[in-house]
Order: sequence, then structure tokens, then C-alpha cells
Amino acid sequence: MMRRRNPMNAARAARGLEPQTEAEFVVGDGSFLVEDFINAITSQLDRVQDALRLKAVNRPLTYALKDLSLDLQVFVELDGQGNVRFRTSGPNETGSSTVRLSFTTITKPMIEENTISLAMTRSPSLSEIGLDEAERQRLEQIGVRNAAQLERLGQSTGARAVSRWSGISAERLRQAVTQSRPRLTDIKPAPPSAPPPVKTPPPLVKPPVTTVPPGKTPPPVKITPPILVKPPRPDPFPPPHDAPPVVRPGKTLVAPISKNVIQVEPNTRRLQLFGANLIGEAGAPQVFFNNRELGLAEAEEDRLVIELPENLASGALEIALPDGQQLTYELSVANGTDPWEPE
Amino acid sequence: MPNIELAETLVALIESVQAPPETGLLVTEAELDVPLEVTGGERKGELIIFGSAPHSRWIAGVLPPAHRGRLRVELVDDATPQSYERGSGGSRP
Repeated sequence: MMRRRNPMNAARAARGLEPQTEAEFVVGDGSFLVEDFINAITSQLDRVQDALRLKAVNRPLTYALKDLSLDLQVFVELDGQGNVRFRTSGPNETGSSTVRLSFTTITKPMIEENTISLAMTRSPSLSEIGLDEAERQRLEQIGVRNAAQLERLGQSTGARAVSRWSGISAERLRQAVTQSRPRLTDIKPAPPSAPPPVKTPPPLVKPPVTTVPPGKTPPPVKITPPILVKPPRPDPFPPPHDAPPVVRPGKTLVAPISKNVIQVEPNTRRLQLFGANLIGEAGAPQVFFNNRELGLAEAEEDRLVIELPENLASGALEIALPDGQQLTYELSVANGTDPWEPE
Repeated sequence: MPNIELAETLVALIESVQAPPETGLLVTEAELDVPLEVTGGERKGELIIFGSAPHSRWIAGVLPPAHRGRLRVELVDDATPQSYERGSGGSRP
């Protein structure tokens, strides 16, 4: 049977809580959190469904568990953090409450209708945007469990309302939301996927001597220039200095390098974009080069790799981040400034 | 209480609905109302729900109280889409 991911850990991860210790699931008096209990029951029901499905492989008809309701004799407790816990009543204990839990089968459309989208769980958790434990709890009480939900609530009700309901200052919430926004920190050419073997400068090889039959002219010998290992290029973003740029005669004047200029080699095939929160609810950023959308080779929260077109020429690189920010860079192909270019 | 997971008990209950083949009967729907001893325990960092039939039909001060479980079981054709369209149940094998 397929091993399932622990739903409790997933739920906790979505809430931005640290990995739980054993003591938090079942504390000393045998009580457990309600949500953990419900997740554990759901996991058991999934196992039932899986077992019945396996049995159905060899049977034309099988049974399915349509509904399950449990009347549990429990003591309902509130722990120090304000969490409701259930403790099943022990032998000879009286005065327990009866909690009736009903579970039924639902279909995928019903799940999609009644639960938050998976895309929304991609958003940074409250702890990741710098909110402490007490602030997280106050926001969870108003149904906010990650940055996207906080931003959405702020947009619909206003930041002051969220601040008033949660008891967290508007400035603090603004800081947290700002921290959750996608941002780019660096753009670099990606190294080639398979690095070529390091070659020493080849020895000078004489062109091969061929014998030409009498009466025929020898074909022209194409001499390829020797491959030279270039020394490391200087920093493409050097700090400005007073000396004027050296302009070689006959070359076009290159604009001074600014922060928005990305210099790449002509044979660059991929660009790496580094940052944070790059995958939003709407997906990965869109990247355009000269108004043509580029494909994403890799997309992670803190790193994107984009495919550059062949025959790369200089142009405008536009990046549309998931929150609507538009960033524009000038991609400069180092054709005209290559010091190793033959004169 | 033996550590029998609730899933195992539920599968056994559902299987018990099936009439013996020689009877020629086919149960199409059943509702079971059963006492269950339900507890929570920890195994490898996961909360596990244990559930099994009570130790005894008699109430004793040394035994945990029985909870109540109600199951509605239906016969399904394997071709019925609902048997594999449950969101949490994964895809059809």
C-alpha cells in the first residue's frame, strides 16, 4: 500500500509551525489537538479506502464506506497556548462530553470548492515573514495562516481592520507583508550544464600535408585560430571611478554599466535569477526578452533559470513578478567590448 | 487495549457485511452501529487513532469507556467513478 505523507506535518508546515516534538501530539495526560485528531482519523479513512480499492482488483463488486460518525466520550480542555485539546475519558471517569464527528465521502470538485488552493499554500508562512509566536496565534484566530491570506484580508477589509482585530500594529503588518513580496536580488548567467573538460592550450599544429594528384589544385586550407583559455573577466559591475572609459578607435562607445545592465557572453544559454518568494499564487514570474516570452528551465522559490534564445543579441529583458511588479533590465551581449576579439 | 488501528477495525467491519457466497444473498447497503474503544497514540512521530471492539460487553471500572461508531456501507461497482474520485484517495490503481 502506498505510504501517505503525514497530513498533520503538512498542516503544521502550512501554518509555519516548527516540526513537532512527540510531546505535542499526545501530551502527558493523553490529550491531543482537535485538528491533529481529525487529520489522524482522515488518514485512517484513507487507509480504509485504499484497502477496499485493493480488494476490488480481484472482485467485480466491493463495498465502500460512505459515511462514518463517531460519538466520542471526551474531556475538552484548553491548553496554555489557547489550543482546544481532546482527552478520551478513562476508566471509571464520569462527566465526559460527547463529541459527534461525522465524515463522509466527497468528490474532487467539492474539495476544490471548500478548501484553499494548493497554490495559496506556496505563500511564505507567518514565521517566515518575521512574525513571532504570539502574533501568529492572533492572526490564526482570524483565519490567516500565511502571507497571501494576510495580504488578501488586508486588501478586502483594510489594514486597519486587520490590525484592530489581531491587535498587531499596522506598521508591523506592513513590514511583514513587504517581506513576503517577491524580490530579485541578483541575475547571473547560468553555468553550462555539463562543464567542458579543462584544456591546456593546444600545441601549435601544422596543417596536415596532403598529396595532391597532378593536374588538380589543392583545396584551400582553413586555419582555425588556436583556442585560448581566457583569464577571468573583470567584475561586470565595477564601482564607478573617475577615469574616463577607454574607447578603442573604430569601436562604438559602450554605455557606462549601470545596475540594470546584465552583461553576458554571446554563447550564454541560460540566465539565473536569484531572489525570494519568486513563486506566487499565480505561479512563476514571466520573463520576456525583446517582447518574446522566454521559457523557464527551473523554478524555485529563490531561484529561476530561464532559457535564452539562440543567436543572442542585446535587448530588453522584462520580468513580471507574481505580485505585478515589472522589472526591466538591459541584456548586453559582450560582442563589442570583448578584449579577446581579433582586431 | 491492543493497538489495533481504527482503519483495520473499519475494514473488518465492512467486510463482515458480505454474505457467505453459498447463500446467494447480496447485501447492497448496510448501517452498522457499533461500540468502539477509541484512543490516540503516537507511533514514529505520528498521531495514530486506535479503535477496536470493546474488551467486554460489561461495564467495569477498570476498562475504558466504549465510544460509538456508525458506518454506512454501500456496495459499489468498481466502474463507478465515485470509488476513485475521492480527492484524498489518490488516483485509480
